[in-house]
Amino acid sequence: MRILLLIALRNLLGARRRSALLGMAVGMVTLILVLMLSLTKGIEDNLIEGATTLSTGHVNVAGFYKSTPGESIPVVTRLSEVRKIVEENTPGLDYVIDRSRGWGKIISDTGSMQVGLSGIEAAQEDRFFEKVQLAPLSDYVEGGNDTTEGDLRRIAEPNTVLLFAAQAKKLEVRVGDQITVQTETFGGRTNTIDATIIAVARDQGLLSNWSVFVPRSATTELYQFGPDTTGAVWIYLKDHRDAEKTMEHLRTVFAEKGFGVMDHEPNPFWMKFETVQGEDWTGQKLDLTVWRDEVNFLTYVLTGFNFITTLLLFVLVVLIVIGISNTMWNAVRERTKEIGTMRAIGMSGTRVLWLILLEALLLGVIATTLGGLLGVIIATAINAANIELHNDAFRAILLAEKVRLSVHADQVVMAILGLTAITGLAAIWPARRGATIPPVTAIQTVE
Amino acid sequence: MWKSLAFALFFALSPAAFAAPSTAEMTAWLKIVDDRQENNGDYQSSFFLEQKEAGKSDLVYQGEIHRRDADDKLVILFTKPTAEAGKGYLRIDNNLFFYDPTVGKWERRTERERIGGTSSQRQDFDQSRLHVEFDPAYVAEEKLGQYAVHHMKLTAKPAVDVAYPIVEVWVDKSTNNVLKRQDFALSGKLMRTTYYPKWEKAISATKKAEVYYPKEIRIYDEVIKGNQTTVVISDVKLSAQEDATFTKAWLEARSR
Repeated sequence: MRILLLIALRNLLGARRRSALLGMAVGMVTLILVLMLSLTKGIEDNLIEGATTLSTGHVNVAGFYKSTPGESIPVVTRLSEVRKIVEENTPGLDYVIDRSRGWGKIISDTGSMQVGLSGIEAAQEDRFFEKVQLAPLSDYVEGGNDTTEGDLRRIAEPNTVLLFAAQAKKLEVRVGDQITVQTETFGGRTNTIDATIIAVARDQGLLSNWSVFVPRSATTELYQFGPDTTGAVWIYLKDHRDAEKTMEHLRTVFAEKGFGVMDHEPNPFWMKFETVQGEDWTGQKLDLTVWRDEVNFLTYVLTGFNFITTLLLFVLVVLIVIGISNTMWNAVRERTKEIGTMRAIGMSGTRVLWLILLEALLLGVIATTLGGLLGVIIATAINAANIELHNDAFRAILLAEKVRLSVHADQVVMAILGLTAITGLAAIWPARRGATIPPVTAIQTVE
Repeated sequence: MWKSLAFALFFALSPAAFAAPSTAEMTAWLKIVDDRQENNGDYQSSFFLEQKEAGKSDLVYQGEIHRRDADDKLVILFTKPTAEAGKGYLRIDNNLFFYDPTVGKWERRTERERIGGTSSQRQDFDQSRLHVEFDPAYVAEEKLGQYAVHHMKLTAKPAVDVAYPIVEVWVDKSTNNVLKRQDFALSGKLMRTTYYPKWEKAISATKKAEVYYPKEIRIYDEVIKGNQTTVVISDVKLSAQEDATFTKAWLEARSR
């Protein structure tokens, strides 16, 4: 095998121009694949990070309360009991928070907009304060500079509100201004609070467009919640990949403890009102979801990118297969004399086949490794450049304010191994042809 | 001199001088307000709806209202502009449904629905139910322009489905027509002010009496300053309508 490897390497070096061109093509495909995978992974990371900061935990225990079959309120009653069950029965639990949630209108002197309201308890929200950053004035004030205003932690004070930059820009407000938050109580009556803007945070892609944060006391007042009631209990796990398994486990636990549990529907709570109102039950039922369910209306971006990556990869792989097959076929034809000599001095057909395959695989390993590494370097450079997205459409698609490529070693290794394997597979046909040339034909070619 | 002044002041401030009407009296006034507008038969009219919003183009709609007060049924059907024609609301059994012919689907809406996305609500087109839905308190006898009015503060009764839990009304003492109304949120914030500058009447054969209706309603949004809705009611008919009018099938057929 060592001799075969040596011959294969010499053959590659012997046809330097051909090897370099072919290697470059394979390397470029690897580079593109690594960049596409990093971009898709970056979007997925943005999605999970944004979603689990603003809209959902890794696993959620939410629910609906129905006083009559036709009316439903998205709340969890008996909050302390539900939290205790979660804390005692969640394997791999990191921490638990709960937030109240609703829908309302925020109104400034110059405009208004519909938003999703989250009532938060500042003492529980260390992760939120870590992930959310103050926006520079230039993000939302005409002619503003790069300084920031406000203090996120003042959300603990009553009658305060935290907006995101796009909202502040639309409403033409800044820190210290007052806005009116208007909602309907769950009894259907109009209610309002006048709230002071204590901070304007950097946008976090599409999700932050309609998220507004107020202290829990504000939502309690606006919706006239009871004391042991919340919108949803959010569970954060040490490893978010365990979310599905944990949700299923908790479903069983809550059912065993006598709670009504809704069938799993992978949609956010606000898409479930019609279904719930159409069902003939009253009282409280819990609804358990994972983070992906709560933002499934955004996963189209990931699906789209995965589709584009797959399509592009397919086209590129077809081109590589054609290129490698053709090149190796030419190499076999050009070296029939050499193959004939080797067969004449006793080399078996199988070893000839391996020789040609090794030549292709060697080229593949070198080219894909270089392409993959170059891809990692480019992705790292793009991340380091902190490229801001100024176009709303790009922000919506990439679910972020900056271009972010997430390079994962396992993906790079898979890209290198996969494309090397394809390079080898593409050489099978010419290798078989080379291996099956009868020694007589080869000798005749020599003559 | 001081004695006489103090005496006069004592009488002026005495309960007798202020003699606010009792709750029963005010409820009776509200019942009169409601009864004057109620037709125990059917009601049909056209409406013109104009919504002005700061920084946006004006919205103008035309449509029809059909009411059967005895059964609490209501149909609101938009006929113009073309983009809105065929959309409509149907209220039956205390449920308000919205129909959009472009998707051919009925959706359940709350009683507080903003009609056509304007500041007007179902209550602005429906029969008046002030004495049923609210408990009154007397504020003062006042002058509203040239009219002497009773100014009352109404608080929604528990479990009644109303958009605004606190309402203040100014009722013309001589005609018992509501001239002004202010709607407040639960927090006490003033949300909208409505003026009823013109009232007209029609003779009802079924009621065998006059039925009053506001010819024009002007609604001012007090939170989003600059938003204003005007409703003009015309072609009021109080003759009996087909039972089929208050059905989904009728509204769907009219939408085609």
